[in-house]
Amino acid sequence: MSTPEQTQKKTEPTREASNGRLSQLWNDYLPYWFVAPMVVVMVLITFFPGAYDLYLSVIAEPTVNIFEAEFVGLSNYRTAFSRGGVIHSFGITITVVASALLLESLLGFFLAALVSGVDSSRMKSFYRVLFIVPMAVAPVSLATIGRIMLNNEIGVIPYLIEAATPFSAPVFLSEIPLLTVILLDTWNWTPFMFIIFYAGLSSVPKTLIEASKVDGAPLWRRYIHIIIPYMKPVVFVAVLIRMIDLFRTFGVVYGLTQGGPGTATQLVSINIYEQMFINNAPGVAAAIAIIYLVFVVAIANIVIAKVGFEGVWD
Amino acid sequence: MAADDASFDAENGSQRLDKDTKESLVRVVRHGVLLGWSFVVLFPLYWLASMSLKPPGVANQLPPEWVFLPTVYNYIQLVQDGEFLAAFANSLIMVGASVILVLIIGVPAAYVLSRYDLPMERDILVWILSSRMLPPIAVVLPFFVIFRALNLFDTRIGMVFMYVSINISLVVWVMKAFFDGIPETLEEAARVDGATQFQGFTKVVLPAAKPGIFSVAIISFIFAWIELLFGLVLTSFESVPVTLFVYSFIGSRSIEWGMLAAASMAMILPVVVFLIVVNKYLAAGLSFGVVIKE
Repeated sequence: MSTPEQTQKKTEPTREASNGRLSQLWNDYLPYWFVAPMVVVMVLITFFPGAYDLYLSVIAEPTVNIFEAEFVGLSNYRTAFSRGGVIHSFGITITVVASALLLESLLGFFLAALVSGVDSSRMKSFYRVLFIVPMAVAPVSLATIGRIMLNNEIGVIPYLIEAATPFSAPVFLSEIPLLTVILLDTWNWTPFMFIIFYAGLSSVPKTLIEASKVDGAPLWRRYIHIIIPYMKPVVFVAVLIRMIDLFRTFGVVYGLTQGGPGTATQLVSINIYEQMFINNAPGVAAAIAIIYLVFVVAIANIVIAKVGFEGVWD
Repeated sequence: MAADDASFDAENGSQRLDKDTKESLVRVVRHGVLLGWSFVVLFPLYWLASMSLKPPGVANQLPPEWVFLPTVYNYIQLVQDGEFLAAFANSLIMVGASVILVLIIGVPAAYVLSRYDLPMERDILVWILSSRMLPPIAVVLPFFVIFRALNLFDTRIGMVFMYVSINISLVVWVMKAFFDGIPETLEEAARVDGATQFQGFTKVVLPAAKPGIFSVAIISFIFAWIELLFGLVLTSFESVPVTLFVYSFIGSRSIEWGMLAAASMAMILPVVVFLIVVNKYLAAGLSFGVVIKE
């Protein structure tokens, strides 16, 4: 991390001899100096938490001297499954991730295709800029918006539903909390898919599109057989990154429902949080964290392996 | 969807309609759908903004007051509430510092990954990406324990480190892609002129990569700015970020809706400006560098 200071000194080569040696050391091993801080940080944020979670998950309770902790084997994992609601919260998480991912991808692609077909360039950039705005809303602020607009006493959306339709408005946060969460996330993050897909669509060569038109294939076939395959790397990376980030979801749900009512929206991340800070069960929290960590990393790596790096990053 | 399929069919050249009618029909449907989505995007933001500008008492009336005299009362209340200003300043300082730090750590590393043939380069890249895959809650548990032992709990330094951890993978990946796009001949020319390798990096490559650095800085800023969990777990009083302030506001018993809306607006507005400023490079940044230009 001392890179900047060293840098300042070493760029002036004419100094004392020792300085010259140091400067040679700096120059000869430049690539190593350049990656060293990154490697340190990476070890601290990947191996260390993984190892520590693993350790926490097999002991009874953290102690000041880590070697004095009582080893309890897999009992925390057993507790996680018997009383920790692991299966339930994994089900909730997978539901949210899968539905939001699907909705955001389809909607994002659909909007991107529509916007890229707009012929006035001014309207095009108007839509393009406007459609990324929801991303500026922090999940916790989105929870605020949800609470304000969906509230059955003061909310404008139940009010409008009841005023404009013959139906009575659902109590969003207690009757359909999961759907509400999914829709709010879709509002929040469709822009992410939109902006990447839009860039991908713009990179498809005009000649390719013209050529496909000559064939007379219907539009949807052109998309499925020519345009989407051409931008496959873009689709792949957008879906992968969004999926990874969806597994990180916390703020919008915690701000909106705190995992409730009951455990209806208890994502794995909320479950772990509550085990740790409400139930005071760090061992169980760590056990679930390890299961979750392995699960997410495995899924992401399967996706990467299935699609492969070729043509995407190489 | 159905409406648009119709437009697609029409666009595809069904011969029932003559060309002009068909084209204007496509245009109407297209703009209809796009304006519809524009409404979906804007209505919640309009609602939040109008709520923040309504005087107390009017804010949560139903039927809503569609026309009202705007007041900055809620914003004044918010500024007078020292806690909000402190949290806002905390977030600015911590997130800003984390962005500078993550650039100092990530950009040189990305340069090396771009310019050198490292053994196991692909594995290194996936390892870096894996830091993004780890659920933050799994990462934060150990740091909760360690930060307490090291007296880093509820400090800005601790939070800066956690924010760096969110963005390091993004910075390395995106900057590697940007450096890949800068021809090596540029530095070689500088080397011939007697520049050291390091000078080649700082004087030639970095300036050429400015747009990339700028956009990745802003995107990193946003990802850290909107983060709630780390603040929730690792702060209690001294280094509370603005997200946690908003969260605890929701939790308080008698919610002042107007003030809550004002606080959220204050969080959202700077980010909107940022997004609009970098919108050209947003795709490159968000796709971890896979899409590099529009």
